[in-house]
Amino acid sequence: MRNLIRYIFITLLVFSFLNSNSQEWVVADDIASIQNPSPYTLQNVNKGKELYLKNCKSCHGDAGKNNALPLVPIPPDVTSAQMHANSEGALFHKITAGRGTMPQFETSISEDDRWRIVNYIMNFNPANEPLLVDAPKINAKLLGSVNEAEKKVEVLAEFQDKDGIYKKLANTPVFINSKKTFGKIKIGQATTDENGRAVYQIPETVVGDAEGKIDIIISMEDNYTVNELLLENAKVCAPNVAENLFDEAVLWGTNDRLQPWLLVSYLAIAVGAWLAIFYVVFQIVKIKRLGKE
Amino acid sequence: MNAIKSPKDQKKVLDKITFDLTRPIVKRDELTRFWFFLLIMFVIVGLWGWIIQIDRGLGVTGMRDYVSWGMYIANFVFFVAVSLIGFLISSALHLLKISWGKAVSRVAEQIAIAAVALAGVIIVMDMGRPDRFLNIFFHGRFASPIIWDVSVVVTYLTISVLLFYLPLIPDLAMLRDKEDLGIPKWKRRLYKTLSLGWKGNAAQFKTLYHAMRVLMLLIIPVGLSIHTVTSWLFASTLRSGWDTTILGPYFVAGAFVAGASAVIILMYVYRLRYGLKEYFKDYHFDQMGKLLVFVCLVYLYFNINEFLVPGYKMKTAEGIHLIELFKGGYSSMFWLVQVVGLVLPIVLIVFKFFRKPLPLTIISAVVLVAAWFKRYLIVIPTLEHPFLPVQNVPEHFQHYAPTSIEITITLFAFVAALAIISILAKLFPVIAIWELAEEKGIDINQLTEEPKIN
Ligand code: HEC
Repeated sequence: MRNLIRYIFITLLVFSFLNSNSQEWVVADDIASIQNPSPYTLQNVNKGKELYLKNCKSCHGDAGKNNALPLVPIPPDVTSAQMHANSEGALFHKITAGRGTMPQFETSISEDDRWRIVNYIMNFNPANEPLLVDAPKINAKLLGSVNEAEKKVEVLAEFQDKDGIYKKLANTPVFINSKKTFGKIKIGQATTDENGRAVYQIPETVVGDAEGKIDIIISMEDNYTVNELLLENAKVCAPNVAENLFDEAVLWGTNDRLQPWLLVSYLAIAVGAWLAIFYVVFQIVKIKRLGKE
Repeated sequence: MNAIKSPKDQKKVLDKITFDLTRPIVKRDELTRFWFFLLIMFVIVGLWGWIIQIDRGLGVTGMRDYVSWGMYIANFVFFVAVSLIGFLISSALHLLKISWGKAVSRVAEQIAIAAVALAGVIIVMDMGRPDRFLNIFFHGRFASPIIWDVSVVVTYLTISVLLFYLPLIPDLAMLRDKEDLGIPKWKRRLYKTLSLGWKGNAAQFKTLYHAMRVLMLLIIPVGLSIHTVTSWLFASTLRSGWDTTILGPYFVAGAFVAGASAVIILMYVYRLRYGLKEYFKDYHFDQMGKLLVFVCLVYLYFNINEFLVPGYKMKTAEGIHLIELFKGGYSSMFWLVQVVGLVLPIVLIVFKFFRKPLPLTIISAVVLVAAWFKRYLIVIPTLEHPFLPVQNVPEHFQHYAPTSIEITITLFAFVAALAIISILAKLFPVIAIWELAEEKGIDINQLTEEPKIN
């Protein structure tokens, strides 16, 4: 009898424990123990960071700032202990499958890239040597010009040293972007030589507007403080000769491409109906006049 | 109707008709006041809801990115549908020389005016920024069904008002001159203005008949267009459930069902409230019942086409939509509407007993409610399946449920429609007195004090 009571008691305890932790997201051992095939290198971590900023930051917030969206449950910060209680295999599984508000990324991010995101999260694991180190930002300056004949962009980059003097910035990537309505899209990058100069050949595949013009923005990596350089109306691209679907007069067109028969029918019907209405109103006036006779 | 011969008898009958039909205008009792009090209360609450919506934006409704047409559009379609009965009864029946239609034609016109006016209002209420309604005039596209719809709604409203007003003129002239009926002074003054100095001479009658005939002919294409164009708002998209060629006639048929039942209910209310048993006779209910069953059968025929044919093919997207209606989340609403709101009424009204006033009114009420839900089923389930990737959006974007603000504003629309009908009923006789007299073979001209002109 005593044993039975104890047994029931223990069972209840176990159940209540399980219940209180029903929020916890458990991954089966065989999945959690899968090793990360993507090596822990700066390149992979950087790629993972890029993906994180694009896909995850909107909910999980910036690393270490604990500024996640107030969802239920709150998406943990990538530096948090909760995040790092997961093995790499478990992280990979959770990103792949999702749960509740946490979306699945199986269909939108490739397997390799999901592992790279794990690489990025592991950068903040206390057991690892962090590869992304926050160096103090360096002030930089960009000059540039467009060579329209050769379709090249030429850049001169300088940085400010400790004494506040601008010097040539060698062996540093600069990014060539195309300006868009809501930001910019990267076209490519070039690395500066020892004179701080970089030349970028615009690929022939880049298409501009109808005249082949684009607005170029030159930018640098995050660890530089720099005014991005805007080179407007650079005629360096293939002109956009894509057929405009709206050029043709179609049934559902805008007013300037209206099919004439449609306008004529509409006006004929509307005007006809209203003429008839006015005619009736005129008859009413006539009734009134007849009453006065 | 056997004609009444002696002028004395004629006068007696005419006096009785006039007396009976002006009771609603004269009557001022507690119930009337209470009714108007209720209407005003609800209108105020509804307007308050609208103010909240204008202030905070459409976020207070259940509409989100995918389901961007909700209950308001269902209401809109419902009101346009109901208004169509005006054209069927006061024009089509008239031109077909079906004489019992005369007694109910003013009831039908009242409903038409109220419904089409509210259809216009509810569309503006569906806009987060009602001031942008003006963009229709500044930036409207002639190729857009929305422009066609706005044009036709305005035209139909105008014609309906005229078609209500024209047959009213002789009545107003008669009532203006009668002092012994107890009609309030201000109403008689109103009649005086509106009756345009009507003397009832032959030339005036001729002009009146002519104008009415023009309107009756005009309202046929306009009436058909109003609901056909409303259906095109849906049918000119590629969405499953709307992407069908029969949507125009389907809507028109459904409209007659909704409108006929609305007319029956209103007839019954007038008959009961104003003691008009001798005017809205059992015979009229019987005829309206037959009309209702006829339009229901036509509608059933369209429903079978609308669901059986795509259901036979079950094309991918169409199939998902149909399964949702047949067996999914909307199945109970769908089958209730089809069976209780359509098939059952047909089966019942075929029997003479159910065409008696009370049973017919009850059935009509069910049909009318079902007609509203039918519009809901046309608008919302289709939008819930946009067949676009619905990804990374909050759960409540994917399903639609009206919020209390939407319900309040919807209530406002219905109450406002009732208010318009009530005011019209308090201002003008609900049956054309002179037409009734004419039908009974009474020559009003002979009985008026004026010297004969013809
Ligand atoms: C729509 C918001 C949202 C986005 C976008 C999002 N997450 Fe989450 N994430 C959450 C929420 C909410 C949770 C908590 C889920 C739970 O515990 O049920 C979560 C949990 C997690 C967890 C599990 C943490 C734990 O408790 O074990 C990981 C790992 C994770 N997210 C990684 C990511 C990554 C990597 C991305 C981008 C590829 C991402 N998330 C994008 C909302 C989001």
